[in-house]
Amino acid sequence: MKINTKDLLSGIILILFAVIGYWLNQDHALGTARRMGPGYMPMLTFVILLGIGAIVTLFALFSGPNPLDKWTTGEVLAIPAAIVAFFATYIIVERLNIFQGNYYILGSAILAGCLVLAIPHGWRALGLVHAGFALFGLLLEQGGLMLALVGCILVSALADPDHRPKGVLGMIIFLCVLCWWVFIKELDIRVNVWPQFL
Amino acid sequence: MELLLTNLGHGFAVALTVNNILFCLLGCLIGTAIGVLPGIGPVATISLLLPITFGQPATTAIIMLAGIYYGAQYGGSTTAILLNLPGEVSSVVTTLEGYKMARNGRAGAALTIAALGSFFAGTVATVLVAASGPLLTSVALSFGPADYFSLMLLGLIISAVLAQGSVLKSVGMVVLGVALGLVGTDVQTGQQRFTFGVPELSDGVGFVSIAMGMFGIAEIILNLERPEQRSVLAAKVGSLFLTKEEFSRATPAVLRGTVVGSLLGILPGGGAALASFGSYMMERKMSRGRAEFGNGAIEGVAGPESANNAASQTSFIPLLTLGIPANAVMALMVGALIIQGIQPGPRMVEAQPDLFWGLIASMWIGNLMLLVINLPMIGMWVKLLQVPYKYLYPSILVFCAIGVYSLSNNVFDVYQTVLFGFVGYIFSKLKMEPAPLLIGFVLGPMMEEHLRRAMLLSRGDVMVFVERPISASMLAIAAAAMIAMLLPSLRKGKDKALAE
Repeated sequence: MKINTKDLLSGIILILFAVIGYWLNQDHALGTARRMGPGYMPMLTFVILLGIGAIVTLFALFSGPNPLDKWTTGEVLAIPAAIVAFFATYIIVERLNIFQGNYYILGSAILAGCLVLAIPHGWRALGLVHAGFALFGLLLEQGGLMLALVGCILVSALADPDHRPKGVLGMIIFLCVLCWWVFIKELDIRVNVWPQFL
Repeated sequence: MELLLTNLGHGFAVALTVNNILFCLLGCLIGTAIGVLPGIGPVATISLLLPITFGQPATTAIIMLAGIYYGAQYGGSTTAILLNLPGEVSSVVTTLEGYKMARNGRAGAALTIAALGSFFAGTVATVLVAASGPLLTSVALSFGPADYFSLMLLGLIISAVLAQGSVLKSVGMVVLGVALGLVGTDVQTGQQRFTFGVPELSDGVGFVSIAMGMFGIAEIILNLERPEQRSVLAAKVGSLFLTKEEFSRATPAVLRGTVVGSLLGILPGGGAALASFGSYMMERKMSRGRAEFGNGAIEGVAGPESANNAASQTSFIPLLTLGIPANAVMALMVGALIIQGIQPGPRMVEAQPDLFWGLIASMWIGNLMLLVINLPMIGMWVKLLQVPYKYLYPSILVFCAIGVYSLSNNVFDVYQTVLFGFVGYIFSKLKMEPAPLLIGFVLGPMMEEHLRRAMLLSRGDVMVFVERPISASMLAIAAAAMIAMLLPSLRKGKDKALAE
C-alpha cells in the first residue's frame, strides 16, 4: 500500500468539514423537496462533500507515495503551543475585562497564537505575516492608521531575514505617506489617522 | 449589424469619458505592473483593489478591474522573454521560446510580436464579446430555474475538471466553496445559518476576505519560503522590428492563437493560463517552424501570447450574458458587481447597457493603451523588477489590510482574512486548488435559489432537470466531462499540458 499523505489529509479535511457541517445543520428545518427549508441545501451539500471526501481518502491509500515536507521537532511542537497560546490569551484577556467589544479579545488571541507559531524557523514567515496582519486590526481603531501601519510593517518585516533597519525605516515612511495619500486624501475612508489616547 | 454599431457607439461614448479613460489607464498600468512582477497575480490584486472601486460608479469600477486582468497578460510576457521568469502563470510557456529568442538577440522582436499579437487577439475578442453578448442573452432569457441550476452545475464541474491537479480534489474544493457560501441569512426564511451568533456573519463569509487570504496572504508566505531567484541579468532588448520572415511565420500563429484562446476563454474553468498552454501545444505540432521549437521559434511566443489575451477577454462572455464566472478572476467580478448592487445575469445587457457596452469599448481602448504602455516603455517595466520582494510584500500586506477593513469598517473582516490566510496556506501545501473553491462560493447561493425555485415549480419532482431539454443537455455534458476526466489516458494528457 503506497499512501499519498497529501491526498489522505485533503480527504480527511473534507470529511471533517462535512461531518461538522452536517451536525450543525441539525438545527435547521429540512422542509420537503417541494418546499425546501433552510436546512435542505446544506444537507445536500454536506452529504456530497462527505462522499467526495471519502472517495479522495480511499484513492489516497493507493496513489502514493506523496509524503509531506519533513518537519523538525520545533515545528511540530509549535503547533500545539500556538493553539494553547491562542486559547490562553483569549481566556486571560476576557477575564481582565479591560478591552470590550470590537473583537479585541479575538485579535489579541490570534496575535499571541501567531507569534508563538513563529518561534521555530520553518514557521517564521507563516506566523509573522499573519501576526502583522492581526496587529494591524488590533491597533487600527484606537491607535489610528499610522500606528497600525508601523506595527504591521515592523512585524511582517521580521519574516524576511534580509531586512536591514534602515531599509525597514525607509519603507515605513514611504508606505505611511503613500497610504495617507491614497486612502485618506483620495479615497477618504472613515478611519482615525492618529492615536486616540494622546 | 447596424444595431451592433449603434450599441458600440454608445459604448465608446461611455468609455471615452475622462473618468473612465483615466481608470482604464490606471487598470492597465497596474495590470502591467503586476504582470511584470512575479509573486503577485491578478486575483490577489483585484481583490486588493475591490474596496477602492466602491466609491466609483459600477461601470468605472469594472472597466478598471478588467484592465488589470488583461493588462497582466501583456505585462507577464515582458519578464518571461527578458528574464526567463514568468510574471504570470499564463506566461509560463512564453519563457520556453521567448527567452531563447532573447538569448539569440531577438528579444525586441519577441516583445513586439507578443504585444502586436495580443493587440490583434484583443481586438478580435472584443468584437466577439460584442457580437455574442446580445445573442447569448436572448437565449439565456428563455432559461427556467431548472436550466439555470444545471448550467451552473455544468460550470462548476467543468471548472473543477480543468483545474490543475486532481479532478476529485477540485470537485471537493468546489463543494467546500458551496458549503462556505451557505453561511449567513437564508434568503427565503430569514433564518441564520452557521453564523455562531456573530452578527458580522449574517451577511455571509466575507468574499474579499476569502480571496485576499487565500490568494494574497498565503501567496506572500509561500513566496517568502521560496528562495528568491531574481538576480538574473536582463537580456538586451535589441531592435523592436520584425524581419519579413519572422512576420510571415508569426502571422498564422497569431491567428491560430486567437481562435484557440477565444474558445478556451469562454469555457468555464478556462481563462488565460489554459489558453496559452493550449496554443503552445498546438504550435509545437502544427506550425511551420515546429522543428525550431526549443531554440527560439517565434510561433511559440506569438501563439500563446495572443491566446492568453484573447481568453482573458472572452472569459467575460459567460459572466456578462449568463452571470456565471468562468474562473477565479470572473468570480471576483461577480463580487464587485454584487457589491455595487448589480445582479449579474442575462438581464444585465438590457438593464445596464452603459456597463455592458462601455466595458466592451473600454477593452479595445485598453488594448490600444497597452500597446503604447508596453512597447516604447519597456525599459521602465524592467526597472520595476529591481524592486526586491522584501520591500514588495509588506506593501501588499498593508494594502490588503486597509482594503479589507474599509470594506465595512469592521476589524472582524481583518481577523477573518487571517483565518483564510492559514486555510489557504494549508490548502496549497496539500495541493488543494483555491480557485474552484472561490467559484463554488460565488455560485453556491445562486444555485440554491434556482434549485428551490425549480423544485417548487415542479412540485418536488426531480425529473424536471432531465425533462427540460436545455437542462438535460447541460447535465449530459457535465456527466460526460466528469467521465472523460476519470479516463486515465485523457487525464494524463491534461496533466502533461498543464505541467509543461
